[in-house]
Amino acid sequence: MRSFVFLLLVTIALLLQSTLFSFLQVSGVKPDLVLMLVIFNGFLRGSREGAFLGFLAGLAQDIFTGNYIGLNALAKMTAGYLAGLAEARFYKESVIIVTLVTFMVGIASQLAYYVLLLYLDIEVAPAFALGQVIIPSAIYTSLLVPLTFWKFYNSNEKGWLREREP
Amino acid sequence: MPRFVSYKKIMLLAVLVGITLLVMRFTHVGRPQLTPMEAAIKDVLAPVQGVLMNIGETFRNGVESIASLGRLSEENKVLKEQVSLLKGQLHMQEELRQENKRLTDLLQYRDQYKQNFSTRTAAVIGRDPGNWFGIVSLNKGSKDGILKNMPVVTPSGLVGKIVAVSPNTSQLMLITDPRSGVGALVQETRIPGVLEGTASGTGETRLIHVPRDTELMDGQIIITSGIGGTFPKGVPIGRVVHVSDEPTGLFKTATVAPFADLHKLEEVLVITTVYNPDIIPQTEGD
Repeated sequence: MRSFVFLLLVTIALLLQSTLFSFLQVSGVKPDLVLMLVIFNGFLRGSREGAFLGFLAGLAQDIFTGNYIGLNALAKMTAGYLAGLAEARFYKESVIIVTLVTFMVGIASQLAYYVLLLYLDIEVAPAFALGQVIIPSAIYTSLLVPLTFWKFYNSNEKGWLREREP
Repeated sequence: MPRFVSYKKIMLLAVLVGITLLVMRFTHVGRPQLTPMEAAIKDVLAPVQGVLMNIGETFRNGVESIASLGRLSEENKVLKEQVSLLKGQLHMQEELRQENKRLTDLLQYRDQYKQNFSTRTAAVIGRDPGNWFGIVSLNKGSKDGILKNMPVVTPSGLVGKIVAVSPNTSQLMLITDPRSGVGALVQETRIPGVLEGTASGTGETRLIHVPRDTELMDGQIIITSGIGGTFPKGVPIGRVVHVSDEPTGLFKTATVAPFADLHKLEEVLVITTVYNPDIIPQTEGD
């Protein structure tokens, strides 16, 4: 049930990213809402679940875009896993920490994506990749964290995303 | 009859009444002018009357306001609804005006080049959710005669090509997509090169593999070369904004800013049939 709700949120995020946020681009970059959800999930639930739902969310994105199935799945799985590593180490109720984790994991995940692009023979100049996609995208995404984290956190504690007893 | 009313007093009363009746006659509304006394009284009293009237009016307004407080909130609500409705109509009219202008530009462009190619107008319905690839979804597909590899333009210049088609939609790859490659040439010097995308978010393209000894400078206009067969020759692409040497030292690379605003695409023209592959190049971004 929880995974289903999470994937529903991912679908909504994908729709928003492909429509509304195209009009809210800053320097040609839009925030990665799916990545944000994956990081929140990993940060609150740990590496295993973070990586698993990260993979599913990325896969949903790949199916949505219709090409290179697995590209986002692997990148988002990395993000979920890395965010999960932070789960045991940091205080979860600090929005500043979550913002910093989102920024760092965002960069790591996009670097993983970049390596996978090279694997697919898609060359993007490193300076362009870092300066115009990876870092701006990580900044934009992490700036949205204070607006969204508490909703996710509350839902995870006592809302739709909480773990139900079997 | 008691004697306390004397004839003298009755006479005095009669005289007073008589005078009063006479004065009434002479002070009718149609008389030529006021008597000096009347005028003086009016002039002296006028400011006092003014002040008193103001006080009275303020008092009346105050009373009316208190009395109408109950009605005001209702009236305010109705007015707010009207303002909101009118604002909505205004925004819709502005939207329609802008859409009308864009479609008029597309029609003019289509008419201008109807000897060279036929086109289909398609609207943008979505974009790639990520920041790397420049893929745009259009609302026309194979049912509308759209096929893979058809070039896509706007009146400003080249936009990209169709890379996937479903019955009702198609996927357009922008020229800024890192997987995109367009045969291009410098309009002024006719030097050929390959125009490749960098990353969708950058909004820029690069003209690569230009021999080092050729003249390549900022401000030059880049058009399609027609080589490769996908894009007709002469479609304007963009303007050179930066030139640098490639690491091998044999070639130069130019950063090219596209004429078409690829971040704000709303309607595009898909070139379905090319009658004359040599299109007369337009001037910059017209």
